[in-house]
Amino acid sequence: MVYFINDIITGALIGLLYSLVAMGFVVIYRASKVFNFAQGELVIIGGFIVWFTTMQAGLSLWLSIPLSLVLAGLVGYAIERIFLTKLIGESVFSMVMVTVGLLILLRGLVLLVFGPAVRPFPIIFPLKPLFLGDMLIPMNLLIGGIITIVAAVGLSWFFNRTRSGLRMTAVAEDHVVASSMGISVKGSIAVAWVLGAILSTIGAMIFLSGKSLTFLASDIGFAALPVALFAGLESIGGLILAGVIIGIVQSLTTNYLDPLIGGSLGSVVPYIIMLAILLIRPTGLFGWRTIERV
Amino acid sequence: MTYQSNRGLRGLLAAAALAAAATMPLKAQAEETYNLALLSDFSGPYADIMPILAGGREAVFTWWNETRGKELGVTLNYKNYETRYDAAQVASLWPGIKSELDPIAVVGLGGPDVAALSERLPEDKIPMFMATAAYGFAWQPDAWIFNPRPTYSHESVGFLNWMREQRGGDEPLKVAILASEASPAYVDMAKGLELYAEEHPEEIDLVEVIYTEVQPTDLTGQMRRVVRAGAEALVIQTNTSIVVAAKRGLQANGANIPIMMSSHNGLPASGGALGGLEQMEGDFEAYGMAIAADEDTPARQFYETLVADYGLEAPWNVVTAMGVSQGLYTVIVIDHAIEANGAEGLTGEKVREALFARTITTEETHGFLPSLTFTPEAPFPLEGLKVNVGTVKDGKITIEATGVDVPHVEKW
Repeated sequence: MVYFINDIITGALIGLLYSLVAMGFVVIYRASKVFNFAQGELVIIGGFIVWFTTMQAGLSLWLSIPLSLVLAGLVGYAIERIFLTKLIGESVFSMVMVTVGLLILLRGLVLLVFGPAVRPFPIIFPLKPLFLGDMLIPMNLLIGGIITIVAAVGLSWFFNRTRSGLRMTAVAEDHVVASSMGISVKGSIAVAWVLGAILSTIGAMIFLSGKSLTFLASDIGFAALPVALFAGLESIGGLILAGVIIGIVQSLTTNYLDPLIGGSLGSVVPYIIMLAILLIRPTGLFGWRTIERV
Repeated sequence: MTYQSNRGLRGLLAAAALAAAATMPLKAQAEETYNLALLSDFSGPYADIMPILAGGREAVFTWWNETRGKELGVTLNYKNYETRYDAAQVASLWPGIKSELDPIAVVGLGGPDVAALSERLPEDKIPMFMATAAYGFAWQPDAWIFNPRPTYSHESVGFLNWMREQRGGDEPLKVAILASEASPAYVDMAKGLELYAEEHPEEIDLVEVIYTEVQPTDLTGQMRRVVRAGAEALVIQTNTSIVVAAKRGLQANGANIPIMMSSHNGLPASGGALGGLEQMEGDFEAYGMAIAADEDTPARQFYETLVADYGLEAPWNVVTAMGVSQGLYTVIVIDHAIEANGAEGLTGEKVREALFARTITTEETHGFLPSLTFTPEAPFPLEGLKVNVGTVKDGKITIEATGVDVPHVEKW
């Protein structure tokens, strides 16, 4: 029974990591209605920035972490300025296609700049797990879970209670209308990309702490996709519940069903949940239902 | 001297000149040139090791051209084609490669090449020589794609039986497998070992078979299962990231179960990804090829020759050893084909026939590979299989065992 509970806790914490990465999707979507297919690549960029500042530049973690977050924000800003600003007012589909191009470009850039070698990622969080009796909880996931909840609360407040956040929501509704109301569309989208890149970098630190860094790590972007769609693409708070549900189901499947069937159903089950939710409730658990009057 | 006799002399000289002119081109024609197509991945998942692997195999071709090639009057040209380790890319490139090079052999890299070309090469009558171990799904008779090493499952079975002998006792060795469904090759590695364990419960007790992602989020829970099951060895033949995650998972559980890796994710690669070779102390790599350790072996000596005289810049490690091994058995088969058929008119078909006709001895491959006797029954030798075992001692890779026998493994 202890192990069962342990698996549930670990699963929930892994789910919260997915939620954090999915938060990057949601922040950009809420501000621009653009689904960023390159979210996993932003995690990799963030990971390489952290690796560079710590392992290459030799900075202490206290210095490299804030510096990495600033650099990641600048990368997000640069991406928005170079690739997306000119598309404001154009169809959302064009912007989404740009993110598909970004996925390929960023992956190529990582290979070009950093090379393809598998690198050791710095140990950001203690490797020693937390022991609660017979239960064992990985510290990176535990601290990551707390960070995710704090980020979700903060961003929910930002989007729902602050003028800037509400402006970003208006921008997502319609670029032209928002512009005509005096809202800086460029500014709102830029802030969203900066936030998205910073969240991805935090996700990279939790995900990769003490492990290895390659461009394969971008796969976590796909792992976070079911969480974002399950929660609903506009709901930051909903990501927490969606992440916890998906994480627990995945953990229990991995630990109890996979050994019976001799396969990896645990890797697939989040996508099954995603497809089921899209079938039953296309807007996700907490997504906005748009009422269109003709 | 009369006009007539002058004319006769001039005629004679002209005839001699013509004869000489006719002979000269004949001599030039004796210098035969054949092409090899090299499938490479400089920008995909194996881009990190590709320059080293390519360096190894290309240095062997240079060595052969300048030594045996000169004696035989044959030059082997080669060209690398970027496949990104993608079957679709290989399939789309192949018609162009064939028409551009008309190769007598393909030097392949991995599973995607096999998947893309296994149906094409028999039609085109061009053999492909791989560097890696073989796959169970490609274990078919009348192959055109060949591996110098048996399947990964053969290699893990050989290692596990050796480990059981080292441990002593009659009990089966408790083993866990960590695999991934990300690639059919990864699944295949696990399936062969599973079948062997099922048929030989007195040797191997498979306590856990775990499938995970290629970059796992966390394996602490899975490693706890492995520890609780009392595993004495953990087989990971997938990739480096899984080894790192497993190692961290074992450390979190306070356990130190020896991990057995293959050549592509072996001790140097996984040690490097963990931050240092010393973190792999007591773990193993096992495969049917020379271990790139510090010991002075014939393979090491040949490597030094390639570095000193043939421009090899790659470091002495397992990836270089793979490239050199692949290059060596490729040129030796071609060498055998030339000896059997003459230098002229060599074709892919004749190269393949030569592979079956003669054993490639371990002396010919300078100890990089055991003696290889190919038969039409399988794409790899079925008899006399051996693996070598390397480990880390005091932070250095050392050879733990050589020529370990691989037992008979049933096809799966």
